[in-house]
Amino acid sequence: MLTWIRTLASRTRTWLSPREVDRDFANELDSHLYMLTDENIRRGMQPEEARRAARIKLGGVTQLKETNRELRGLPFIETFLQDARYAFRMLRKNPGFTAVAVLTLALGIGANTAIFSVVYAVLLKPLPYANPNQLVSAFQANTQEGVPETGTSYPNFEEWRAQNHVFSELATIDFHQLTLTGLGDPSEVNTCVVTPEHFAVLDVKPLQGRIFFPEDGKRGAPPVVIVSENLWRGTLGADPKILGSSIILDKRPFTVIGIMPASFRSPFINSKPEVWIPLVQDPLFGSWMARRGGHWLAVFGRLKPGVSIAQAQAEMDAISERLASEFPAENKGWTVRLVPMQKEIVGDVRTALLVLLGAVGLVLLIACANIANLLLTRATSRSKEIAVRTALGAGRSRIIRQLLSETAVLGLLGGVIGIALAYWGVRALSSLLPDNLPRVNAIRVDNFVLIFALVLSAIASAVFGLVPALFASKLDIQSSLREGSGRSGESGNRRRARSFLAAAEIALAMVLLVAAGLLLRSFSKLTSVSPGFEPQHIVKAEVSLPQFQYSKPQQWTAFSDELLAHIQAQPGLQNSAIAIPVPIVDGFINLGFEIEGAPPKSSTESRTADYASVSPEYFHVMGIPLLSGRLFNQQDIATAPPVTLISKTMAQRYFPNQDPIGKRLSFGFPPNPGIPREIVGIVGDVRDTSLGDAPGPMMYVPYAQAPFWGADLVVKSTLGTSAVTVAIRQEVQKIDKDLPVTDVGKLPDLLDASVSQQRFRTLLLGLFAAMALILAATGIFGVISYSVSCRTNEIGIRVALGASRAAILRMILRETLLLTFAGLLVGIPCALVASHLIGHMLFGVSANDPVTLAAVASTLTAVATLAGFIPARRAMLVDPMVALRHE
Amino acid sequence: MSADKSDILQGTLDLMVLKTLDAMGPLHGYGIARRIEQISEEALQINQGTIYASLVRLMQKRWISGAWGISDNNRKAKFYSITKAGRKQLNAEAENWERISAVIGRVLRLADRG
Repeated sequence: MLTWIRTLASRTRTWLSPREVDRDFANELDSHLYMLTDENIRRGMQPEEARRAARIKLGGVTQLKETNRELRGLPFIETFLQDARYAFRMLRKNPGFTAVAVLTLALGIGANTAIFSVVYAVLLKPLPYANPNQLVSAFQANTQEGVPETGTSYPNFEEWRAQNHVFSELATIDFHQLTLTGLGDPSEVNTCVVTPEHFAVLDVKPLQGRIFFPEDGKRGAPPVVIVSENLWRGTLGADPKILGSSIILDKRPFTVIGIMPASFRSPFINSKPEVWIPLVQDPLFGSWMARRGGHWLAVFGRLKPGVSIAQAQAEMDAISERLASEFPAENKGWTVRLVPMQKEIVGDVRTALLVLLGAVGLVLLIACANIANLLLTRATSRSKEIAVRTALGAGRSRIIRQLLSETAVLGLLGGVIGIALAYWGVRALSSLLPDNLPRVNAIRVDNFVLIFALVLSAIASAVFGLVPALFASKLDIQSSLREGSGRSGESGNRRRARSFLAAAEIALAMVLLVAAGLLLRSFSKLTSVSPGFEPQHIVKAEVSLPQFQYSKPQQWTAFSDELLAHIQAQPGLQNSAIAIPVPIVDGFINLGFEIEGAPPKSSTESRTADYASVSPEYFHVMGIPLLSGRLFNQQDIATAPPVTLISKTMAQRYFPNQDPIGKRLSFGFPPNPGIPREIVGIVGDVRDTSLGDAPGPMMYVPYAQAPFWGADLVVKSTLGTSAVTVAIRQEVQKIDKDLPVTDVGKLPDLLDASVSQQRFRTLLLGLFAAMALILAATGIFGVISYSVSCRTNEIGIRVALGASRAAILRMILRETLLLTFAGLLVGIPCALVASHLIGHMLFGVSANDPVTLAAVASTLTAVATLAGFIPARRAMLVDPMVALRHE
Repeated sequence: MSADKSDILQGTLDLMVLKTLDAMGPLHGYGIARRIEQISEEALQINQGTIYASLVRLMQKRWISGAWGISDNNRKAKFYSITKAGRKQLNAEAENWERISAVIGRVLRLADRG
């Protein structure tokens, strides 16, 4: 080690004073030569001969000096700096080439870096909590009923907490919105409903005040709240005396005990949390705490140090078995599933992001092939220069090093511009990113991403630099020196390499275009699919009722009746209804049901259907057709016999070959489960989960018979959205001035937003495919133009010998098409493999979709032909006299 | 000097130079080259210039030091001598040295005698 440092120090010192050391060594060699000559003379040689023999004995003086210089200096840095300087000069001399190469590379690097920054933030970056590897999510699962993962109930959670020895702490989280009043207009605040250990599990400290203590979670404890820094600085006006004072949530005062820093996010919650309250204080979830059968609590915990997830799973298995035997009614068949928190949060976004990363990687590969092609072309025209260098004693490795230095400079330039593009790209991406993408707030070009970009450009320049450098250095000096311009004499190897690269570009572009084409077709099918209702001109708004003031179902019904009557009385708003939930926009509620008088279901069969509680006008407003029987009417009130409407799919699936009307189903949403309801009609199917999912069985109940503590208004009106919104606000506040109206939106827009992830990936993949197409076209253009310019002579002779111009055109186009077809031949199977990889993202198109394949193949052929046509035309117009003189 | 030869010789040549300087005291490049040639009985067919690479390497490791002086026949020449660190290195490598090729073994024995 010490020796190594000494060497480096010595090298650096001599590197800094090269002239002096050079002179010293020259003197030394001189002295050596004199001594050798003296000796030779002593042996009886003539002085002239003695000097010659001495030189031979010593070896080539120039070479010795060169070796000496290399040994004693810092040769790598030295030659690199020298090469880099030379490279800059060469690049400046060819601004066209440089611009194209650098820009191509910058686009590739920029796109890759931007996508990687998303992948890194979402998939790779550790969660922003201490020791994130210890954090685990816990779910309940029931394989018999086909429930892969769901929440648990509070009593179960308490058992888990008390009985386990593997977690240092367990906590729960739920999320909804509460109404904040007393500070200007009533507003909805994003509320995390947690057990007191929430913050302790995540190991976070408050900005001010304290986190929850276990006592805060006890029944009868005074209501306390922790607010976010943003809420404190915003709505609360950065009040310095906020700790200890109270804010009004759902008309109840909560004492503020702490402020969480703005950077803190609770896990699983994509919206910015504004307040945290103990579960026991929550108006909605708090009332569910005693029931063991529910599945609504999201549980997570921190493993004790040294405990593996498998050990924890084993322990939880034992606990869930105990619970199943102790409380069979609620827990039979239910197991506990542990998942690392990071994996759970990322969810199924993973594949889509990896596909995008792969796609953008292909774009970079095409860009590299393109630049390699440009470099090959240039290396050919520089073969004379290289031959001269070789003749002057440069070794093969030295030539390769020089050419690689040039590409390294190119790579560096491309990388720097690419990073600048990436900064811009990330900003552009952020506006495109779907709202429901987890961990979006972490996306930025940070150091890790920068290192990725630099490494990527280094790898890229090695890839596109090595091929031409290897070719160039294998040069046959003799022939290159003899050929005057070094233009016409291109080795077959190199031409083959270039054609290979161009064909490879076509193949890679094919893969991207097919993937993009399939996604595009899927997306257009997805957005044109009929959801089963007519969203046009429908505005949707949500009104939630504070639980403490509106605690009884009768109050909920009274409120909604009054609201609906008020709104329908407005001109232009007659066409209004109430529903919970609105399909797709609000998600779905799935409930089990029993058919009265039907044989008991087998263990594999599950009888569940999606559920909606709607006012009678709903079907008319939404345009859902009645297929048989009757719709709900104003007589279907709470005191009337319970009724239900079922969807077409439900009728077909559960009542094949019979008339379901008049039969009874029993089901219900809390607080009235298991009520028998008579089927009075069949309505059309609705896609309520998402646009991409085929409609499942669905059952409706009158809102008056199954009210809720809040509901959506759906208003079909030709008035503008803002006019409708203002009218709704006015009417709501006429009834209760403290009620906020939230989540207002046009139904078509909301449906659009529901496919934002699909749109995002389709758009990006389309963009990458377009880049690939342009790059591949440039590649073809480059190869064919170069080939034409090399063959100018030959073409001149052909024309002079009587070849028609059309024949020349055909000849060049044939060359183009040959390249293209070779590319397609390889590209099609590759594209099929790729399209099967993204098969699960497709909607309504098969991965082997022949239409897409044919369209892509013909587009590529057309674009390639066009790219080849420009040089072909030039070839056609060659003047034989000029061409024959052309060297 | 071909590349292969230098690869093979580099390490051994360095040690031969060190040993020569250890045995003979301060010497110039020509003297070292002559000495190695004589002792190896022309078994080593090297260009004399080759030892300069060795000398640079050894200088960089501070195993030898160099200074200009006047040779026997009144020529200005750069004289190299082994340093303390060089001697330590030489002793450490001695055991290793025994194991390498027969030629070097012979050089060693002859150098000791001389």
